[in-house]
Amino acid sequence: MRPSMMNIFENLRDQNILDLEHAKRDNKKVVGMYCAYSPQELVLAAGAIPVSLCGTSNKPVAAAEKVLPRNLCPLIKSSFGFAITDTCPYFRFSDFLVADTTCDGKKKMFEILGSMKPLHVLQLPQGTDRPGALGWWLEEIRILKDKLEENLEATIDEDSLRAAIKLANKERQVLRRLHEMNRLDPAPLSGVDLLTATWLRSFSVDKAEGIELVEQLIEEIQEIADKGLSPFRAGTPRILLTGCPVGSGSEKVLKLLEECGGSVVCLENCSGIKTQVYLIDEDESRDPLEAIAERYLQIPCSCMSPNPGRLELIAKLIDEYRVDGVVDLTWQACHTYNVEAELVRQLVKDKCGLPYLQLETDYSTSDVEQLKTRLAAFIEMMDRS
Amino acid sequence: MSNDYRPMWESLGLDLESHDQLLKAIPQAFGGVYMQQKNRPAEMEYFDFVVSEIHGLRIQELQEHKSRGGKVVGAFCIFVPEEIVRAAGGICVGLCSGAEIGTAQAEKVLPRNICPLIKSFMGFKLGHVCPYFESCDMVVGETTCDGKKKAFEILNDYIPVHMMETPQMKREKDKVLWRSEVRDFVTEMQQFTGNQVTYDSLQRAIIDVNGKRKVLARLAELRKNIPAPISGKDSLLIEQIAMYDDVDRFTEQTTKLCDELEKRTRAGLGVQEPGALRIIVSGTPMAVPNWKVPHIIESSGAVIVAEELCTGLRYFENTVDEDGSDLEQQVDALAKRYLDIDCACFTPNDARTDKLVKLAEEYQADGIIHCSLAFCDPYLVEANRVEKVLKEHNIPLLRIETDYGQEDSGQLKTRVEAFFEMLAAKKA
Ligand code: SF4
Ligand code: SF4
Repeated sequence: MRPSMMNIFENLRDQNILDLEHAKRDNKKVVGMYCAYSPQELVLAAGAIPVSLCGTSNKPVAAAEKVLPRNLCPLIKSSFGFAITDTCPYFRFSDFLVADTTCDGKKKMFEILGSMKPLHVLQLPQGTDRPGALGWWLEEIRILKDKLEENLEATIDEDSLRAAIKLANKERQVLRRLHEMNRLDPAPLSGVDLLTATWLRSFSVDKAEGIELVEQLIEEIQEIADKGLSPFRAGTPRILLTGCPVGSGSEKVLKLLEECGGSVVCLENCSGIKTQVYLIDEDESRDPLEAIAERYLQIPCSCMSPNPGRLELIAKLIDEYRVDGVVDLTWQACHTYNVEAELVRQLVKDKCGLPYLQLETDYSTSDVEQLKTRLAAFIEMMDRS
Repeated sequence: MSNDYRPMWESLGLDLESHDQLLKAIPQAFGGVYMQQKNRPAEMEYFDFVVSEIHGLRIQELQEHKSRGGKVVGAFCIFVPEEIVRAAGGICVGLCSGAEIGTAQAEKVLPRNICPLIKSFMGFKLGHVCPYFESCDMVVGETTCDGKKKAFEILNDYIPVHMMETPQMKREKDKVLWRSEVRDFVTEMQQFTGNQVTYDSLQRAIIDVNGKRKVLARLAELRKNIPAPISGKDSLLIEQIAMYDDVDRFTEQTTKLCDELEKRTRAGLGVQEPGALRIIVSGTPMAVPNWKVPHIIESSGAVIVAEELCTGLRYFENTVDEDGSDLEQQVDALAKRYLDIDCACFTPNDARTDKLVKLAEEYQADGIIHCSLAFCDPYLVEANRVEKVLKEHNIPLLRIETDYGQEDSGQLKTRVEAFFEMLAAKKA
């Protein structure tokens, strides 16, 4: 039983591009971002539209490989390839780019990309456990604010920031609620649909509208669940997917997992719960930039060293979503996630006593058969029916 | 090796069987790569001796230092301020990680697709094959690249690791961050060794280590001569030994070597004919016993005149200002010197590409070979910037990506020879 609202979400792809075209015609500015650490609130407060430029398609990878090493994460190659082949409308629409020093590959790729469009690089701290990290990161946010004001010819004042914080928080909350529908057993929404809804909504020009849509979807899912319906039969193994970012277009593993008889109930990655659970403090007596800095630094990405937050989050999610197994997806040559997998393995297998599988793959389809075999074997192992 | 060091190795907890393999491999490789060279300077004798005693004499010295209560601190990166370790009465050793040993063990906790240097250090530790590593009381890690940064989290399960956050840029706020990291390191070393770092002890250490860097710079300077008085392989060996040898002795011996090279230069003597192609090697570090690419280059008739590497210019081209009048100023001077290193971990890192252009001119190089270890994203991606800038200046470039295996040697040799043919044609 699939919610009919999903059709609307699937059509969002074209709708979003049209809306963006209109907005550009009305002289709205568009800011392209590459990482979950880039605070969209600043862009919103500047009256501009934030879009994600994280590449999720294999198509432009070949073009990128002419410039970038082959042994590089497909996400970086895809993002870069889109830019140099001019095949991503969102990149084309972008007036300004915000990048982060998330990982070596991205950091160095941006040096090459920077000649194509005005680009600002935010430097992330390397760990969150140092006493100076937050203050230092706050300065980065302040620098970004100045850059945005300058490049977008806008002012970012306190009121607009507070409004943007509220809006973005609201969005996080509604997405989290959507996600949490899948705590039900069996899950009322497939992992693929969960991703589609989350992903495509992130490109909506009007955030309030996007929020509204997700709310309607939740309602429909509730109805489905009340009738005791689900796309999965009782006893379907419940999987938590963690690791590198997955988006529409790079959902290969997610799809295969469900084709092989699993139900991906929770996505602990940038497009999933990891960016939704932490809210920005709305306390009016606080400096909004400080509140923003604090919230973004909470994101438990493997680029942080150490990164205990991710392990804590995974442990919590395993409980909350009554997970039967964890799949840790690593994009080829993503060193931080790849190394951190050892710590995740220790947590899932040794501490939680659950099956754990780490996969390293890219955006191509060349290994699909092989993946299928591994995933099927993994899921079979957990079958509860 | 003259003495029987087995009891010492045993007491260090080395896995003697694997260690025997390693120890057999080094002289073999060394003989093939080094001893066949013609026209070697006589003063290379000392460095050959150091290699022959690589797990003997120096380890014994470290053990003696430890038995007097001294600490040994390991580092993998030239960002670790060795002056501070020294000022606290410790000995800082560069842990080389240039060999594929213990890979199976390393891959139990690390991915396969990761830089060989990282895999190697984990393999050395987990396999208990490196007496330097086993002599270390702690390791100082840094956040220079993704792989290392994360691998230190795991290494910390096996030996205490102190992390230094190296910034990714060189703006004012990054300098402030780095200064505080260096200051923290002073505190850490004091606590760890139980010795105070004083103005005098730090001044002494700065002067000593500067001395080492200066003599290496003198050696580099001498290689500007045509014909080059010393091979690139020998120079690299000296630069590698600089990372773990006794500082004073090393400086003294390298000074003697430079004196000899000066005489050679005056007599017009070189290691190769004056017309030999002059090559600069640039890229990721080459640690003992990783001599693969330099050997291919020099056995194809060219001479390497400079290494723009961590095991090379990046290690010694800058010295620490010696005019600090209190501890605070000394620490600032140290921080400044280290942040001046032009590593690809910085964004942007234009100073490196600019420097390559300058080096090519100063050393009258015919071409540059950019050599990166596999999976090293910072250098592999930056190679694109290097290519762009060198093209603008008409400096020929060959890009190589390789690892510690020997499988690609034949293929590399073919590529290097083709590059040299092109250079020779250009020169003629
Ligand atoms: S998946 Fe990993 S390597 Fe790829 S962009 Fe993200 S952090 Fe970088
Ligand atoms: S060679 Fe590159 S990837 Fe390897 S340790 Fe050095 S910086 Fe890191």
